[in-house]
Amino acid sequence: MTTPATRRTPETKVLSLNFGVPDSWTLKVVRERGAYQALEKALKTMTPEQVTAEVKTSRLRGRGGAGFPAGVKWGFVPKSSPKTKYVVCNADESEPGTFKDRYLMELDPHLVLEGCLLAAYAVGASVIYIYVRGEYPLSIARLEGAMAEARAAGLVGANILGSSFSCEAWVHPGAGAYICGEETGMLESLEGKRGHPRIKPPFPAVEGAFASPTLINNVETLAHVPWIVTNGGAAFAKQGIPPDPANPRAVGSSGTKLMGVSGPVRTPGVWEFEFGITLRELIYGYGGGPLPGRTIKAVIPGGISMPVLTDAELDVKMGFDELAKAGSGLGTACAIVMDDTCDMVKACINIAHFFADESCGQCTPCREGCHWLEKIYKRIDAGQGTLADLDLLASLFGNIEGRTICALADAAVWPLRSILKKFRPEFEARLARPVTAVAGQAVMS
Amino acid sequence: MSPIPPGAQLKGAAAAAAGQAAGTLGVATGAVGSAAARVAAGTQAATKPVVPIAFPPPEVKADCEELLKRYPTKMAALLPILHLAQKHNAGWVSPALEAGVAAYLGVSDAHVRGVLTFYAMFHTQPVGRHDVWVCRTLTCWLRGAEALTKTALAKAGIDKVGGTDAQGRFSVREMECLGLCEVAPAAWIDGQVHGHVTPDSLGRLMDGCA
Repeated sequence: MTTPATRRTPETKVLSLNFGVPDSWTLKVVRERGAYQALEKALKTMTPEQVTAEVKTSRLRGRGGAGFPAGVKWGFVPKSSPKTKYVVCNADESEPGTFKDRYLMELDPHLVLEGCLLAAYAVGASVIYIYVRGEYPLSIARLEGAMAEARAAGLVGANILGSSFSCEAWVHPGAGAYICGEETGMLESLEGKRGHPRIKPPFPAVEGAFASPTLINNVETLAHVPWIVTNGGAAFAKQGIPPDPANPRAVGSSGTKLMGVSGPVRTPGVWEFEFGITLRELIYGYGGGPLPGRTIKAVIPGGISMPVLTDAELDVKMGFDELAKAGSGLGTACAIVMDDTCDMVKACINIAHFFADESCGQCTPCREGCHWLEKIYKRIDAGQGTLADLDLLASLFGNIEGRTICALADAAVWPLRSILKKFRPEFEARLARPVTAVAGQAVMS
Repeated sequence: MSPIPPGAQLKGAAAAAAGQAAGTLGVATGAVGSAAARVAAGTQAATKPVVPIAFPPPEVKADCEELLKRYPTKMAALLPILHLAQKHNAGWVSPALEAGVAAYLGVSDAHVRGVLTFYAMFHTQPVGRHDVWVCRTLTCWLRGAEALTKTALAKAGIDKVGGTDAQGRFSVREMECLGLCEVAPAAWIDGQVHGHVTPDSLGRLMDGCA
């Protein structure tokens, strides 16, 4: 067991600058603190192409989990289209263990809205929908309040700030479905349908909401844009982890990131750091480490959908490429901690149940497979599992992953496969006929 | 959309539709006994015409019209309108209300049913006066959610998650991650979220529900 770190790199507050300021969700308060100055700068001194260019220069990567370069995505939206173009802000924060976007929407909704408006200006969109999960009533209220204030102040609607740019903005409430965080499932839901993900292509940038060009970005991604426009993409790119010149695929993790910790730790919460602090620092330094008398057993670095890391593996830097190299992923950067009291078989039942419940049902491997997984784990938990069940799990993982329209099924497989791999003896000990290790080989007793 | 206090039920047409449904079923249930009769009854129940509730009722008309202006298609307003409709119908969407919404938006009843049954926050069966949701997903589970579910069920006098007590006071559900992980374990009662919930505090919160 590694010695717990007490190191605490200071926070870098860019997105969270207004958190804790009284009434930070009102226009009056945040405008005195600089809100909408980036929008004014863009509308008065920059072309839409220049805004997109700054975002490209910033190397801002999507904060929803996949880490796709935002500026590149913006570039996919066709410049000339006879159709109305849309910006859809993905605020369906349904990833378990993740609550960072809720802080942004509740505490600085105007920052989110300003980011949406800048994106709309850059891609030529005239309508913004912020798709907020139905379980976030306060986020919905704060965003709708911000939109009403902005509309009254000439910041949303026709000829914004006296310019030729006109754009409307609305909240679209979800109604309880994890799959609607998947971008095309979200578009279906926005259109008033079940949230069934679409087969791509066509990609949303070309044919998205209402069969029109649509830019979709996560809340936190868009909330970064005002700072980038104000300070320049190059200044943003200087923060965080630079690209690795030796590895063209490691494009770096620029800027700051909201990072969270939840589970049995002393001080769960969310903070903002430049990329590059370690996962250990986040969990021990800020999350306070395990509860008294306990030790950390496993951590999912971001959300529920990434492979677990053990306590010995926590010295990895919080960055897209770094966590991928460590065999996991940054995901939403909101870590879930499991301690030594956690029964991994039961944890797998909990995880598998989540995905079985949230599968939209379109693809057989996911619809059936996630239920199979849950049933097998329950059988093992009940002491009725056999060694063949562990093989069946492995076979299922292979037959689910990569065989569906969207990544929900992959997201189910990744944590479960890693838990079985790293904690296999716990599973073997629960089988109907426990396995004993003899001369390095697992044999049935 | 402006917040609207829950509670007000859609009246008139709803009661009429319910009466008619009971009458129709009365005929069908006369044949119960053989498997074939049960199938016939089921078919009849499934295909029996539903008399739509006139939608929108006056108290949500302005909100519905405002919502329709936000989208290029009427169908797109379905989710926000179902939220409104449900809120004004004691928390659930009956077949008659479903048909009313469908007619208003120019979509089929089946489309609305498909949407209603897809999303966890919509209900197609009557629910209790108070929604008690316990978050069951990983973080809350790690911090003691199972004990909360047990407390909620015992307090409400319900034997199974998803159920409603005989007096129609509580519906208790386990929900997937509510996004309140930093204050886990979390619960939701009638749209109000609560963090650091203990079996004791949940019991007290439920005691406070009329």
